Amino acid sequence: MRSPVLHLTWHLARSSGRRGLQSQLLAAAAAAVGSLVLLTLLAAYLGAGARADRTAWRTPAPDRHGTAIQALTTTYVRDEPITVVSLAQLPHHARTPAPPGLNSFPKQGDWYVSPALARLLRTLPPTQLAYRFPKSTPYATISAAGLASPDELVAVIGRAPTDPTVSKSADRQGIYDDGLTARSVVSGFAGTRRSVFTADDQAAVLLGVGLLVVPVIVLAAAAGRLGAARREQRLAALRLAGATPRQILAMTGVEAAAVGAAGALVGAVAYGALLPALAEVPYGIGTWYVGQLWVGLPWVAAVVVGVAGLIAVSAMSTLRQVASSPLGVAQQSDPRRTRLVRLVLFVAVLVYIRVSTDGSALKPGTLVALMVLFYGAFWMFGPWIVDRLGRVVGRFARRPATLLAARRLSDDPRGAWRTVSGLVLAGFVAGFFTVGLLGIVGFDHRGQVAVPTANAADARHAVGEARRLLRAAGVDATVGTDDEGFLLGSSDGVVARVSGGPAALDTAVTVLQPLGAGRLPYAGAYAEAQDTAVSDRLAQLGTATLAVSFLVATASAGLTAAANVLDRRRTYGLLRLSGTPLRVLDRARVRETVLPLLVLAGGTTATGLYAAVQVNKAAGSTISTSGAVQLAVCVTLGALAMLAAIGASRPLLRAVTADPAHATD
Amino acid sequence: MSAVLAGVGLIKKYGSTTALAGVDVEVGACDSLAIMGPSGSGKSTLLHTLAGIVRPDGGQVLLRGERSEMGVPPAEGWGRIDDLGENRLSALRRKRFGFVFQSGQLLPELPAEENVALPLMLEGLPRAQAVERARRWFAPLGLDGLERRRPGQLSGGQAQRVAIARALAVAPDVVFADEPTGALDQATGTEVVRLLTSVTREQGAALVMVTHDAEVAAHCDRILQVRDGRISNYSQFTVS
Repeated sequence: MRSPVLHLTWHLARSSGRRGLQSQLLAAAAAAVGSLVLLTLLAAYLGAGARADRTAWRTPAPDRHGTAIQALTTTYVRDEPITVVSLAQLPHHARTPAPPGLNSFPKQGDWYVSPALARLLRTLPPTQLAYRFPKSTPYATISAAGLASPDELVAVIGRAPTDPTVSKSADRQGIYDDGLTARSVVSGFAGTRRSVFTADDQAAVLLGVGLLVVPVIVLAAAAGRLGAARREQRLAALRLAGATPRQILAMTGVEAAAVGAAGALVGAVAYGALLPALAEVPYGIGTWYVGQLWVGLPWVAAVVVGVAGLIAVSAMSTLRQVASSPLGVAQQSDPRRTRLVRLVLFVAVLVYIRVSTDGSALKPGTLVALMVLFYGAFWMFGPWIVDRLGRVVGRFARRPATLLAARRLSDDPRGAWRTVSGLVLAGFVAGFFTVGLLGIVGFDHRGQVAVPTANAADARHAVGEARRLLRAAGVDATVGTDDEGFLLGSSDGVVARVSGGPAALDTAVTVLQPLGAGRLPYAGAYAEAQDTAVSDRLAQLGTATLAVSFLVATASAGLTAAANVLDRRRTYGLLRLSGTPLRVLDRARVRETVLPLLVLAGGTTATGLYAAVQVNKAAGSTISTSGAVQLAVCVTLGALAMLAAIGASRPLLRAVTADPAHATD
Repeated sequence: MSAVLAGVGLIKKYGSTTALAGVDVEVGACDSLAIMGPSGSGKSTLLHTLAGIVRPDGGQVLLRGERSEMGVPPAEGWGRIDDLGENRLSALRRKRFGFVFQSGQLLPELPAEENVALPLMLEGLPRAQAVERARRWFAPLGLDGLERRRPGQLSGGQAQRVAIARALAVAPDVVFADEPTGALDQATGTEVVRLLTSVTREQGAALVMVTHDAEVAAHCDRILQVRDGRISNYSQFTVS
């Protein structure tokens, strides 16, 4: 016999009326936001890996039987890195294949630049940039196949094998050269080492994904709970009419999964439509090629199925009581108390973190592990503190709205925690990342340009020449061989201390190039590249995590608020009928969210700040004031957005209580 | 009997259906009125109209001691309430009326005493005083020791008695009860309605109750039979 589940589910869903439709639309909207966020996160993760791989060809892969010499170096203009790849075909050797993004292997004197670098070459005076490259022929353009980002600054230059820029002196020598300068004989472009500027991108995204997955799951779970009361009543009636628990669960699962899948599909379509806009969001080295952010149909299908499944599981979990007993819902009597073990676990984790971090410098991996541990412990702790907060506020509440809010908190602390958890945990992450991560305080390289030379004698000889070149270019500078700022590292060379802004610095780098004997002069950005790459990425991660967390948390709060209004419409209606002012009901709803938000988001943000201060103290660096301001602005905006989202369901509250006579039906 | 609430020529239509077709009714202090009738007869509409929940299309609802929205009151000491603004109506329902429904009127997250104290707090009474006044109702209604129980921890009869306490806590002029025993068994229902009528009378309030149960209605002073929006029968008992 055919199962009646599908037919009955469809029939009930269709006949659930306007109220049912409202819940289903809200659930679908939550699923859409969830799938859009998940696909975006996935796109950022896969895209970051894909574009980092596109930089690997530039670092030469040594081959003793190679056919060409490849030298990588990095120069900076306006503090932005330009990757320069010099190539020289070895005579009497087989032809070397073309590097990615070029039609053929460049002949001596040919040079290719990325479109972004071409724009800079056109806009900046040649003394600040163009004179660093060959002047003989016009340049060609590197296609997207050889670039990681449309904004990337890359030059590929064909040289003679005898050119100093591909000689052994152009190989890695100083302490700052790792990943920025390299030279080798190659037979092709099968390098596997990702550039310094993209190597940490994927790991940082992964960390962000880890931090954001929980809020997204909370959102999907909230979607599954939408209309729970309506569904419970309807299915309790079915149960009394003889439906089995399995049929009840199946009907709920089918309905929730169908609504979730429809919403998730809308989210997937929105993701597809938004790809060009998403590609314009800069991360690391810049914006993206649209194709890098397309995750492929299998991933899209997996996310849609995953979100729909999550919503179905969440919806079915709300029905356990109905499924076990038809009277289960009506007889729910005990508040969902939380146990003290949650506090004990949280304190144990705090003690462990304190002991682990006491007096020792933290490795990044350990730091992340401790953060994840804290995150998990706080997730356990949240409902307990919400419960206690509800009891304390309930004890001292003077006004009806506060009393109602407090009692709701201790009645369902897990539900209240779910509403605010996204923002609370985002506060911790944001507190840590926006304030804690900044450049390590070390040597001051401001206004300095280093020109490495082969030896100390060459350096002494180069001082006079450097002064002459700088004077001819109109750059005011003092030149010497002393290296107080340790910009040369352990290498011999000349250091010019330039007066003036970035333009003067770039001019100095350009005009001093002939002195480098194969090495390009460099400024502080080169020496700090490794540190900057990591700290910039983590700072961006903090901002992005904060933004997405707020988006998801706001959506969660708005949906939950709307769902609560729909589910409690009879109670609200009866209260209105007996004269309870609408504003009291509304204030109670808002305070239900604001109370835990103020205490917990404030608490975790402060904890994040404290952790950041401790880490900075251990690392010998200072606190980022701008980060603190950014944090304050973000948390304020996030809280306001959340309140606005809750306020958005005020018209719904007004509508469902507009005709209180219906509440008695 | 000194009337406290009156409906005069009440007419209410829902589309082409006439729920009330010119009903006249009045109820006095310490008076209890049961409204009976088959489903769809208009008995709930009559209760809602008298309570200021539904506005009539014709006729007037008058309440003694209430100031009308505009103009001179229809009679000395009476005020028309069916034309009051929503805020004033809401305040009037809160201050001068009490409500008991079939079920669901108690907030599940509040202990019984706070459910009873809530209307007093809404009136501005400090919480401690509101709770203290609320507690006074528990012993007379047989709820002693159940003050801190939540509605889910009470039996149906106990929950209805808490609802009665809440309705009476504000010392209303009129208590409206809509099928107050509908969700209770016969014995519990009888006990609840006995309490409702006696306590309401003791407090000097009027009681207007909709029920389909003749035994429940028999506890009231008067029974009004409604059919097709009109009063079809009227009985008066001598309360023992």
